[in-house]
Amino acid sequence: MTGELVLLILRLISALLLLAMLGALLSILWYDMRRAAVRVDSSRRQYGSLHILQEIEGRLLDTGEEFPLLSITSLGRAPTNTILIEDTFASSEHALITLRGGQWWLEDRHSRNGTTLNDVPVVQPTVITKGDIIGIGSVRLRLNME
Amino acid sequence: MVVDTFDLKRAAIPGSQRRERGLLLLAGAFILINFLALFIQRPAASWLDGLHGLVWLLCAISGHVFLNRTLPGRDPLLFPVTMFLSGWGLVAIDRLAPVFAERQTAWLVVATTALGAVAGLPHLLRWLRSYRYLLLACGLLLLVSTIVLGVNPSGLSSAPQLWLGTGTIFFQPSEVLKIILVAFLASYLAEQFPAFRAEGLEHHRLHLSPRVIGPMLLMWGLSIVVLIWQRDLGTAILFFTVFLLLIYVASGYSLLLVGGACLTVAAGWAAYHAFGVVQLRVDIWINPWPESDGRAYQIVQSLLAFASGGILGQGVGQGSPGYIPVVHSDFIFAAIAEEWGLLGILSIIGCIAVLVGRGLHCALRLQRRSFLALMAVGLSVTLGVQSLLIMMGVLKLLPLTGVTLPFMSYGGSSLLTCFTMIGLLLRLSALED
Repeated sequence: MTGELVLLILRLISALLLLAMLGALLSILWYDMRRAAVRVDSSRRQYGSLHILQEIEGRLLDTGEEFPLLSITSLGRAPTNTILIEDTFASSEHALITLRGGQWWLEDRHSRNGTTLNDVPVVQPTVITKGDIIGIGSVRLRLNME
Repeated sequence: MVVDTFDLKRAAIPGSQRRERGLLLLAGAFILINFLALFIQRPAASWLDGLHGLVWLLCAISGHVFLNRTLPGRDPLLFPVTMFLSGWGLVAIDRLAPVFAERQTAWLVVATTALGAVAGLPHLLRWLRSYRYLLLACGLLLLVSTIVLGVNPSGLSSAPQLWLGTGTIFFQPSEVLKIILVAFLASYLAEQFPAFRAEGLEHHRLHLSPRVIGPMLLMWGLSIVVLIWQRDLGTAILFFTVFLLLIYVASGYSLLLVGGACLTVAAGWAAYHAFGVVQLRVDIWINPWPESDGRAYQIVQSLLAFASGGILGQGVGQGSPGYIPVVHSDFIFAAIAEEWGLLGILSIIGCIAVLVGRGLHCALRLQRRSFLALMAVGLSVTLGVQSLLIMMGVLKLLPLTGVTLPFMSYGGSSLLTCFTMIGLLLRLSALED
C-alpha cells in the first residue's frame, strides 16, 4: 500500500516537473521575443527628427534645418538645451519631448508664452505623431518619423 | 567606451549559461524521479540499474562544462532539450526493453562525445562546405554498399537490410547520409543562391529552369532508389521532403512545393501498386480494424496505448505498452503516451518544436551567410520532419513510415546522428551574424 502511495507521489512529481520544464521553455522563449521586440523598437527610435519650418507668405516651408530626436529632448533658449531655439518669445527652458512606452510625448515646461501643437496650446503632456507641428514663439517645428 | 561594451558582453554570457543549467537541473530531476519510480517497481533490482541515470547525469554535466568552455555564446535551449529528450528516451527504453538499455547508454556516451567534438572543431563547417563532392561520393558509396552488403541485426532475411556491420556492432548508413545530404545541398544551393534568387523573383510563377528541375529530378531519383532497393519508405520520404523545403527556402519559389507534392503523390501511387510494403502501410492506415489481430496489430495496439494513457498517463512501469511489437524503437512515442499521458506527448512535441524553432531562428540570424543559414534550416527541418513523420504515423494520421523518433527511440546510429546535428546547430548558433 505504501509502495503504491510512493509511486503515486513520484508520478505527480514527474508530471509537475514536466509542467515546470514546459513553463521554463516558454518563459525563455517569451523573454527572448520581448528582448527582440525592444531591439527592433530601439532601432526604429533613432529615425525621429524635428524639422525647422519658416512661415513665408502664409505658408510653412521647410528650412532644411533638422535635429535628430533623442529619447529626452529639451527645447528652449538656454544653451544647455538639446535643441536651441533662438527666438525672443521662447523661454530658457521651454518644452520637453520624451519617449515613453514607444511613443513621443510633448510637454510644456511652464514657459511664459506657451507651446502649441498644431496651433492648439499644450496644457498637459500630449502624444505627438508624424507630421505634427510644434510651435514655440514664432518658430515652427515639424515631427518627422521614418 | 570600449571597456564598457566588453564588460557588457562578459556580463551577458553567464545569463544564458545559467538558463541552460536551470533547464538541465529540471531535466535531471525529471529523469532521476522516473528512474527511481522504475527502480522501486523492480523486484530484483540491483544498484547496477542506477547506472543509466548516473551515466546520463555525467554526460549532461560534462557536456555543459565543455560547451561553456568552447562555445560560450551558444543558444541556451538546444543542449538541455536534447539531453532531456535523450534521457527520457533512456528511461523509456530501460522500462520497455531492459536488455537494450545498456547498449543505448553506451551509445549516449558516444553521441555526447560526438556532439562535443562537432561543437569544438573550429573548421568543420568550412570543411563540410569545401569538400562537398567528396562527401556526396562517400554518401553514395555508403548507400551502394548498404544495397550490396546490407544486413539486418535480427538476422531475418525478410526484414529490410539497412545496416552495415559485423558481430555485435551495426550501423545504419542512411542516418549519416542525412547529415551528408544536408551539408551537400546547403553548399550547392548556397553557390547557386544568387541565380536562384534572381529566377525566383523575376519569373515567380511559370518559369522552371533546368537549374531548378535538374537537381530536383536527381534527388527524386535518389529517393526512389532508396525506396526500391531498400524498401525504406521513411528515409525516402524524409530525404525528398527535406530537399524540397531546402530548395524552397533557397529560391522562394512556391511552385516547387506544388511540383514536389505532385511527384511525391505520383511516386506513392506507383509504389502502392508495385510494393507490398507500401500497399500494406496504406491499407492499414485507411482502415486498420478488419485486420486488428493480423497485419494491423501494431498500429491498433498503439492507438489503444494512446487511449489508455489519458491526460496524466499510467505512470512509468504501470501501463502495459508491451503489447505493441518492437515498441522500444519506432513506437516509443505510443509507450510514452501510455505512461506519461497527454502531458508527456505535449512536452515532447513542445521540445521538438523548440529545437526546430531555435534552428530556424539561428538561420534567420545568419541569413546573410547563405551556406550557414541553409545548413541551419536543413538540420532543423530534418529533425522536425522526421519527428512529424513518426509521431503522425504512430497516431495513424499518416501511413506508417519506419523512421526513428529523434533522441528517444532505441538505435545507436539514430542517436549519434541526431546529437551530431545538434552539435552543428550549437556551433551555428554561436556564430556572429
